[in-house]
Amino acid sequence: MSEEELVLSLRHREKIAVEALYDMYSASLFGVISRIINDTTIAEDVLQETFVKIWHSFSSYNIEKGRLFTWMVNIARNLAIDKTRSKDFKNQNKNQDIENNVTFIDEQRNTVYKPELMGVKNLVQTLKPEQKLIIELVYFKGYTHVEAAEELGIPLGTVKTRLRMGIQELRKHFN
Amino acid sequence: MEDLKAYIETGILELYVLGDVTPAEKLQVEELASKHPGIRAELNEIERSMELYAGENAIEPSEHLRSRILGSLLTNFGDDNDFPTQTHTEREKVVTTRPPDKQKEINFYKYAFAACLVLLLASAVALYNLYNRLNDTNTRLNAMQLQNQHFSTTVSAKDNELSLLRDTSYKLIRLKGTKKSPESVMTVAFSPSKQKVVIDLEGLKLPANDQAHQYQLWALVGGKPVDLGVFDATADSSGFKNMKAIASADAFAVTLEPRGGSPSPTLSQMVVMGKF
Repeated sequence: MSEEELVLSLRHREKIAVEALYDMYSASLFGVISRIINDTTIAEDVLQETFVKIWHSFSSYNIEKGRLFTWMVNIARNLAIDKTRSKDFKNQNKNQDIENNVTFIDEQRNTVYKPELMGVKNLVQTLKPEQKLIIELVYFKGYTHVEAAEELGIPLGTVKTRLRMGIQELRKHFN
Repeated sequence: MEDLKAYIETGILELYVLGDVTPAEKLQVEELASKHPGIRAELNEIERSMELYAGENAIEPSEHLRSRILGSLLTNFGDDNDFPTQTHTEREKVVTTRPPDKQKEINFYKYAFAACLVLLLASAVALYNLYNRLNDTNTRLNAMQLQNQHFSTTVSAKDNELSLLRDTSYKLIRLKGTKKSPESVMTVAFSPSKQKVVIDLEGLKLPANDQAHQYQLWALVGGKPVDLGVFDATADSSGFKNMKAIASADAFAVTLEPRGGSPSPTLSQMVVMGKF
């Protein structure tokens, strides 16, 4: 099923379209959500919320403005970030044992690579580590480029350049 | 085209795809993309590679999640087509439930105002009625007071008359009509000890005098007439009238004189006379 066909059947709210949507995109969306939320149960909840929102606000998606996945990944990322700011999530953090707290906070702010999160395949070897890091922060973790610059202690222009260069590399790789 | 190339090189398109642009920048990118196929293509390339990269980094959610999520979406299938309509009607409900509340409030004040007006009107009417009745009562009270006054005056006058009649020092002298007026009759009460002369106006029968003339009472003392005052004879004259004082008299007579009386009686105009 092509993206155009999928969008059309989703507009007609066909059952088969929902199943296709899930099968095509759930893993990619879950990859993004899991990078923001470590807790698997909560990440699964957010994935469900994401699909519910996609389904209910599908009329606001405009195929002219961009690809379906770009629209969906924004929804997933925003819901995941909202969740980390919610009261429940913060309370849940407080309930962590004291000895686990240090590692938990480390995990929360982790900017180091975790191969298991990057996917076992980790096929993309073309990216330089610093490019990978920026893409990880902005694309997967929902940092703004300003926040990323602060986090990494590098100039804004450098962040932008690295992002662009990294994505250029990805384009070359996938072509 | 140089401009577009420079625009692309700013990295704004990458940030747009990553969802890291301001609403104004977002609009600008979308506008340029709709105008320039070059930008549209560039965006599409970036989106596609990010999508593929996300695919590389995908994490397969557990199998049970598929049925759970699809289940939660498919339960909405029964009313999936109504969904947008449903939110719409819900919103409509919210919109319509609010005005009735306000409407209720407005209605309440409307009715309260109307009730106040009605009360005001009713009070005004009641007050007006009460005022009229009060006026009426006041008028009647005044009339009754006047009547009462008149009555008490009458009573005291009658008392005086009665006490005079009871007073044994008074002598009643009947003056009889002369040839000029044979029908006339009049009573004079005279108390020599008290030197008082009183005439009975109610019982007198004299021809009514006009405005130019008055009757004058005389006492004959040793053959000489002494003026005792003037009076009027009218049809409705009543009560007693005190005349001038005199210690003794042989006779009393009444003459018709010009108004105010005369120093000496006009004998031709004598109407009644009586001896003591």
